[in-house]
Amino acid sequence: MNPIDDATLQAYVDGELDAAARARVDALLAQDPAQAHRVQQLQALNAQLRAAFDPVLDEPVPAHLTAMLQPRTTAAATPTSLAGRRRTHAAPHHRPRRWMLPGAALAASVALLAVGLWWHAGNGLVRTHNGESYAAGALVRALDQSLASEPDAQAPVAIGLSFRAADGHICRTFTIRTPPSRSGLACRAATGWALPVIAPMAPVESGELRQAASDLPPTVQAAVDARLHGNVFNARQERAARAAGWR
Amino acid sequence: MDSSDAVREGLIPLLPRLRRLARALAGQVADADDLVQIVLERALARATQWRPDSPLDKWVFAIARNAWRDELRARGRTAKLFASEEAGETVADPTGTQPAQQLELAAALATLSPDQREVVALVLVEGLSYDEAAALLEVPVGTVTSRLARARTALQALLGNDA
Repeated sequence: MNPIDDATLQAYVDGELDAAARARVDALLAQDPAQAHRVQQLQALNAQLRAAFDPVLDEPVPAHLTAMLQPRTTAAATPTSLAGRRRTHAAPHHRPRRWMLPGAALAASVALLAVGLWWHAGNGLVRTHNGESYAAGALVRALDQSLASEPDAQAPVAIGLSFRAADGHICRTFTIRTPPSRSGLACRAATGWALPVIAPMAPVESGELRQAASDLPPTVQAAVDARLHGNVFNARQERAARAAGWR
Repeated sequence: MDSSDAVREGLIPLLPRLRRLARALAGQVADADDLVQIVLERALARATQWRPDSPLDKWVFAIARNAWRDELRARGRTAKLFASEEAGETVADPTGTQPAQQLELAAALATLSPDQREVVALVLVEGLSYDEAAALLEVPVGTVTSRLARARTALQALLGNDA
């Protein structure tokens, strides 16, 4: 009887053999318990690797990665389906990269920097602290004080929906009405209102700008979906959260 | 639609697989997503080099593999991604969200040579055929299978199921 060499066994467990070769190996394995045991070990290792890394496929993709693939000029409107796309786990926060050397980190920051420059060219509504973006100026005042249940059509910032994220922090979506109009998500942190995502609003046909929460840019919508755990605040809950200092 | 639009739109559904490959290569969530960010930047910058009649996933996986190699080189450590002084961080996932099983496998993979590790990531995690992996790595198929065999022996010894 022909012994099965290791290369053939490996090809067998990796599905690289054609039907005829596979049948030959099956027949030989039936006669050779030691080799059959070896095949089981190889298959177990394959299964272990898949079990460890396949769950990544089900993780929400971090918003800053999705944002890199959005068209630069217009953000396509997508229908809101919070309930349908709700996630129970918060997306991993983007942390300062200690892994990269400065050069690589610089290159990696180009897209974010471009967004940042465009954003900072606006009107001082964002500050950065340790590389993270935070609300500043009128944006802080709106996030601290404004209620979606009491909309003010003249206010420079409109608040959309508020909710408690899976990590326990309160998050609120907002739209800045002054051009260039932008929408984003703000989440209450110890150091202020962190801004995990900001994105331009697409002009509608009339030349006006979308301001409703239902017309959030896809990247903002994705960031909301990744964090939402439970229900969006109603008017009473929103007011109570403001009274509690958004804690 | 120009090639850059085609690449950008084509990459969106590939993001989960790209993150899985990066996780197998880089180990930790933050490192892996940093790698994905670099890969996306490179892919978008080189979009005109993608031939629409070729599979986008293999193209971007090759970019990922090369970017990972560049990062290893930049770190000056070709043998291990996680040096000993970072071992504590490797074990203690700062976000607490990375499954223990994944951390265990990532730690085992980190002990492999880059040659072996990328073959494991491409064939065993990502599911590429030997031929596809050989084409992507620009090595003969025999090189892929021999690296894979050595990697398996090492992993089985590490993971304690070689009895």
